[in-house]
Amino acid sequence: MFSSPLNNQEGRIFMREVAVIGVGQSVFGKFPGRTAASLGGEAVAAALKDCGMHPKDIQVAYAARAYDANCTAQAVLKEVGVTAFEMINVENACAGGATAFRGVWKEIACGRYDIGIAIGVESMTTSPIAGKLIPPEKDDLDGYLGMTMPAMFGMVARRQMEEYGATAEDFALVSVKNHHHGCLNPQAQYRKEFTVEEILQSRMISEPITLLMCCPNTDGAAAAILCSMEVARKYTTQPIKVIGSALLTGDYKYLQKDICASPVGVKAAQMAYEMAGCAPKDIDLVEMHDAFANEEILRYEDLALCAPGEGLDLLRSGATAIGGRIPVNPSGGLLALGHPLSASGVRTVCEVVLHLRGQAGARQTPNAKVGLAQMLGGLVTGLEHGVTAGIHILAR
Amino acid sequence: MAGPEEEVIVDKVPFKEGIFRADRADADTGNGTLLGNKCASCGRIYFPPADFCFDCFGQAMAEAPLSQRGKLYSYTLCHMPASRFKPPFFVGLVDMPEGVRVFAPLKAAAGRPFHIGMDMEVKIEELWQEKDQQVIGYVFEPVK
Repeated sequence: MFSSPLNNQEGRIFMREVAVIGVGQSVFGKFPGRTAASLGGEAVAAALKDCGMHPKDIQVAYAARAYDANCTAQAVLKEVGVTAFEMINVENACAGGATAFRGVWKEIACGRYDIGIAIGVESMTTSPIAGKLIPPEKDDLDGYLGMTMPAMFGMVARRQMEEYGATAEDFALVSVKNHHHGCLNPQAQYRKEFTVEEILQSRMISEPITLLMCCPNTDGAAAAILCSMEVARKYTTQPIKVIGSALLTGDYKYLQKDICASPVGVKAAQMAYEMAGCAPKDIDLVEMHDAFANEEILRYEDLALCAPGEGLDLLRSGATAIGGRIPVNPSGGLLALGHPLSASGVRTVCEVVLHLRGQAGARQTPNAKVGLAQMLGGLVTGLEHGVTAGIHILAR
Repeated sequence: MAGPEEEVIVDKVPFKEGIFRADRADADTGNGTLLGNKCASCGRIYFPPADFCFDCFGQAMAEAPLSQRGKLYSYTLCHMPASRFKPPFFVGLVDMPEGVRVFAPLKAAAGRPFHIGMDMEVKIEELWQEKDQQVIGYVFEPVK
């Protein structure tokens, strides 16, 4: 059913089938004493061990990092004894990791290399924005006037309440769910259950968004090793196929009539489903960008996990919790697992891979065959908020 | 000429040049206008002013002052510091009749709590002070 369309002609380029064979994550938390290179090295070492690969077998690397130094891939890979091949560094806000993953996928699909590694890493506590909100760009008009990410999502939440009848309790419910999931994940930054009441009573950040509806600042890294399907079989009997990949930039803000909608997210999802040759109903689990709890409800609709306007019903039905019809963020999501900005786009892929292999432990999605990893990020004045969407669909 | 008995006059500087003006004749009211621009080819209006039309790539742009009033599209009360503002402070998005949505600080008015769809009016006032200067900009206030 999910034979990869990569064997077909896509445009005029012959695309090879690509598999993920190794995944790894560093510890997630606040580690002001550790460098980004050390966190990245930990994730890469874990990914290499996961597939039993020698570091010298890697042929190409993409690394994503938002803050704040040059040559991240080089700095990370020297930690595991790897030097002297093509290394590319990318930045795409929260979609940086998804961008790095797609970069490696393209290199292998096009036949330039057989084995590559995607790395996402962020050391928030040692970055110039440690302990602060993500600052606006210099000369950013809205930034001068008080715009921040929480302010934006506070305004989005008000629209959800007005248009769809959402309540603060609904937003809290997303956070309760994802924190519960985080308790089942040994690698989560926060492994603590919260009640709706506790989420609502936590410090107010930007009404109606409270502290426990916001993702934390996190240091951490993730890595994924990809290779051509022929090479994959030398390393594993469980290659996970990349069947859909989409990366897209949004349009001017004046075209975004409804701030709850993500035109770029919707379009990227359609592209990914089309390429994968599957429908939203075929997806067994989703890892996505839940930087703010209310955001997750909107993204259900972008990904067509439910009909437009039915995101709230989907949440309230329990379908997106572990054990439900379509678990969303079984890892704990950004809310509980943590959100090292550029790492998250690789980390979401790693989580999907674990479920497709049946290795996700207490949070395992039963008999998962197809999973989707989504990232959305970037606030640029004049463009729709969440300006970059990256989506990957994987299948066993 | 400033006499020795007069206080030092604080300079008023706009937080950004060329995107709004205060009504000088009526300074006490704080009334003012946001200065957008309009594509001469297709008529699309932009705020802040655009260098060219992003829609049709028309290069000829004409000044287009916006209406004084619009409708509140959404709002929030921020409890974290941002820019030069000390929390708590309100911000919001206001839909103008010209088809543009403007982000701005909101000024609370006693007895008129914010709600989506309420009529808002642009005001020009101090945003913050910087050195010996009063930095002014636009905010929106519920219409009386």
